[in-house]
Amino acid sequence: MMPRALLAAFSSLLPACSGATEGRLVTFSAAAAGPADAVQGQPYELTSGRGYHVVLTRARLHIGAAYLNQSAPSAAAPSQPCELPGAYVAQILTGVDVDVLSPLPQPFGSPGSGIASHAVAAEIVLTGGDLNAIDDPTIILDVAGTASKQGTYYPFDGIVTIGRNRLQPSTDPAAPGAEPPCRRRIAAPVAVDITPADGGRLVVRVDPRGWFANVDFAQLRKVSDKPPQYRFDDNSETQPNLNLYTGLTSRDGVYGFTWEGP
Amino acid sequence: MRTSLLLGAGLVLALATLHPTQATAQQPESGITPPVVKSQVAAALPAGQSPAQDEEAILAVLVDATGHVTSAQVVQSAGKVEDEAARVAALQWVFLPAVRDGRPVPSKVRLSFHFPAASAAPTPPVVKATAGPKSQSPVLASDVAKPAETESSRVTIVGHARPPSRGASDFHFRIGALSLVPRANASELLKLAPGILLSNTGGDGHPEQVFLRGFDAREGQDIEFTVGGVPINEAGNPHGNGVSDTHFIIPELVHSLRVVEGPFDPRQGNFAVAGSADYELGLDQRGASARYTIGSFNTQRLVLLWGPEQAPTGTFAGAEIFSTDGFGQNRDARRATMMGQYEGRLGDRGSWRVTAQGYSAHYHSAGLLREDDYRSGRKGFYDTYDPRQGGDSSRFSLAAEVEDRWGDTVLKQSAFFIDRSMRLQENFTGFLLDPQLPSQSLHGQRGDLLDLDVSENTLGARGMVRHRASLLGQVQALELGYFARTDHVDGTQHRIENLTGTPYRLQNSLESRMVDLGLYADANVAMGRYVRLTGGIRTDLLTFDVLNRCPAVAGSGPDAGCDPQASQGQSQAVRRASTASSALLPRASLILGPFDHFSFNASYGEGIRSIDPIYVSQDAATPFASIRAYEGAAAYAGSLGPYGLVVRSVFFQTRVDRDLVFSEVAGRGVLGGATTRTGWMGAARLNGSWFDQAAHVTAVKATFDDTHHLVPYVPQVVVRSDSVIKGDLPLRIGGRKVRGAIGAGVSFVGARPLPYGERGDRVLALDASGVLSWRMVELGLIGTNLTDQMFRLGEYNYVSDFHSQGEPTRVPSRHFSAGAPRAVFLTVALRLGDES
Repeated sequence: MMPRALLAAFSSLLPACSGATEGRLVTFSAAAAGPADAVQGQPYELTSGRGYHVVLTRARLHIGAAYLNQSAPSAAAPSQPCELPGAYVAQILTGVDVDVLSPLPQPFGSPGSGIASHAVAAEIVLTGGDLNAIDDPTIILDVAGTASKQGTYYPFDGIVTIGRNRLQPSTDPAAPGAEPPCRRRIAAPVAVDITPADGGRLVVRVDPRGWFANVDFAQLRKVSDKPPQYRFDDNSETQPNLNLYTGLTSRDGVYGFTWEGP
Repeated sequence: MRTSLLLGAGLVLALATLHPTQATAQQPESGITPPVVKSQVAAALPAGQSPAQDEEAILAVLVDATGHVTSAQVVQSAGKVEDEAARVAALQWVFLPAVRDGRPVPSKVRLSFHFPAASAAPTPPVVKATAGPKSQSPVLASDVAKPAETESSRVTIVGHARPPSRGASDFHFRIGALSLVPRANASELLKLAPGILLSNTGGDGHPEQVFLRGFDAREGQDIEFTVGGVPINEAGNPHGNGVSDTHFIIPELVHSLRVVEGPFDPRQGNFAVAGSADYELGLDQRGASARYTIGSFNTQRLVLLWGPEQAPTGTFAGAEIFSTDGFGQNRDARRATMMGQYEGRLGDRGSWRVTAQGYSAHYHSAGLLREDDYRSGRKGFYDTYDPRQGGDSSRFSLAAEVEDRWGDTVLKQSAFFIDRSMRLQENFTGFLLDPQLPSQSLHGQRGDLLDLDVSENTLGARGMVRHRASLLGQVQALELGYFARTDHVDGTQHRIENLTGTPYRLQNSLESRMVDLGLYADANVAMGRYVRLTGGIRTDLLTFDVLNRCPAVAGSGPDAGCDPQASQGQSQAVRRASTASSALLPRASLILGPFDHFSFNASYGEGIRSIDPIYVSQDAATPFASIRAYEGAAAYAGSLGPYGLVVRSVFFQTRVDRDLVFSEVAGRGVLGGATTRTGWMGAARLNGSWFDQAAHVTAVKATFDDTHHLVPYVPQVVVRSDSVIKGDLPLRIGGRKVRGAIGAGVSFVGARPLPYGERGDRVLALDASGVLSWRMVELGLIGTNLTDQMFRLGEYNYVSDFHSQGEPTRVPSRHFSAGAPRAVFLTVALRLGDES
């Protein structure tokens, strides 16, 4: 009788050790790259929405972080908070300086992590530090190249930081917090269709065409005559400066997310 | 034949007078088996001091639940020398303890020592016992002229009226020698019960988190806690409805502990979801004693205890002062506790007692750490993110109880008043829950530190009448009882800005008045010698009257504070809601046996947990959490050679329609879905004159009914062992023996399921202590976590952002609260009075 009782006791222990809770944590690698049609070591050529032919010779983008969300914020709700607790599926926290002229995936500083849930939207965070800081001296974008249109050439360079220079005070007294600094640093929501899994790789492709979509190079500030040189100023006060920044934080056409592997 | 069962006054529950010569054939009534002599020692007179004529000394001896004589008092003198000889001899007798309802219990026995006249007895008198498993009382005999078979002996079972056992899941622990096992507080005594795991993420003054039989009872919300029948659960506490803080109990004053796993006793009321635990206060050691402990982390503890020598165990006074710097960062604590109880007699068969208690504490807490921060070296294992975490706690109570008996009817009535306050500051999520809203002035994440302030008053009473009658040749019992309490709770919860330490948002502000009126009937029906049905029905009516001073917040987003924020210009509004609900709760246990020491039971019970006042809306049916529990069990209560042995095996299943699930956002348990847990528990206790060993194993699988996924955080396997070895050392100082004892407690917790398919670490912890005592001095050494494991006391998977990394962390990750590293404590105790 005793052995049977012991057997019954121990056999009851076995199922107790089985089973699992809902969901699963995952880790994956992450990388960022320039457009797939770029050629490693070569300038990248594009035609902007305003008809400029642009040859990019330098294009370095600092991505501070990237997130995948399980729900997409409503486009009709522009004043949604920058952070949506509970909405996140995956994160890549250690940033990367991406050579956008290279089509090769360049790994983020650390793997991504998250849960095995379906993501429908993504965020690119363009910051070098605190997302909510008023100022941030980090150079987010460093570009150089030549734009031409109808035989006129505009050699240009420029940097973009997103700090006090991009702040936009709220115009609605009833909504003093409608334009927080974080909002100026996030490109979102980017539509995705991804379910992260262990061992996979998330690749963010950056397409510089979107940066220059509405930039009128003719309005750039000329900083030198011989040789001629134009420059994006690091503010949002003139058309090309504002539109470069706007293109940089655009949720459409600039950042593409693909999932490789399981 | 003369057999009677008397319920006596004061400490006396039952007084059974049995004729020794008939004892072996007479089965005592009401499931009481008197103590049986196992070994005896003759009373030896000094040479040449035999009395001139036959003399008889009668001693009243107290036999504890392990069978040892703890005191001997002369009630009939045979002369000074004879009395002392008899007393010295009696203290060395060993019994198989009295057994009631399958459990060993303390008892009082009269022993008579016959001293024949010198002419008739050339040798010292010898007292023999005809001991054996079938003996039903101490059977005394003498090989001299006056055989003890002609004497009557009386067996007195000591203690207050106790309810009948509900079977193998009804544990009544007399702490006794197991008090040597290191325990930091009264909560840790719960570990004597199978399946219980304690955790604490909130600091030394924070209520312990209790896991029992597959339940994450949080800070006691799913266990009905009482001390001497006075409730500990705090109805309506915003930190958790039913929070139970037992730190006000001085562990040295816990005389016994009854744990019923499952809602099987009609006396169990609100919150008895996983079960109930009732601390019975008392002080065995009479006289005055002072105990001072000093040890690791600058821990100091002073305990003063006093129990008047002629007074019963239930009369005592005690005080405790404790302070520690705590291990690692931010774990300091200070507390002081006073407890006093006076127990008096009421006529011949009644007793009354008054209990008063005061407690106050201030402490800090390290809270939780992210595993990735520890792994990367950004944080140490024992570090903290937010040094503001901690709290304050106080509790004052006054209770009175009267118990009396008329014929076969026992009446008991008690009343209590409790004043309680609690402040709690916890930060589970760092900087996550304060996103910028358009209507707010510009701000970053200001911090998620919760600052909860609660003040409560509880007034209540309980009473019962129990009648015993002989029917169908068996003693039958019926008890009718009531329970009534009203709670007035005022609680507010703010979020605190990290930079300034000032509140920036009022999250909750509730003033609640709750009433719980319960009635029960409990029958103990013996259907023949081996079949007993015990149980009945309970009904509870709970009413709620809740003034919500922050109604905008309830159920809305995390930033919907109701303060008149500077940027919002909101004005406060209030909303009152009241409702009531009742529940009818059947409970029954069918107990078979004992068949040659084996007994079996099948039990069914239903229980409730009342609703958190934050969820109360006008006239809405109060959504009780309803519990249904089943179990089948077998138990053995007998001996293993010369040692007492109790073994239990229980298979159980419990279903809850609304379980509590921890929410890091709310900082407490919130209502979740239906869950079912199925498991097995095995427990054994073996004890003898020189040792006491208790061990238990619980394996349980708790799943959600809809998804069949595991309920997170609930340990699936819990193993615990408590061991004590004690005895006289081969050492005498000043002619007096030196006694020694060592105790050890080992806990093993299997890998706990965590959210998102994860498992926590296994935990194996070893605590030990050693005590040397000589006359009135005691020296002890306590070591906890002897293997110095860096173990994770609690583990969680959720989202937090403590600004420990470059960018906001927004997906679930592992968090843990660190268990204490190895610690050593030295204790010096000085006793004045009873040196036994």
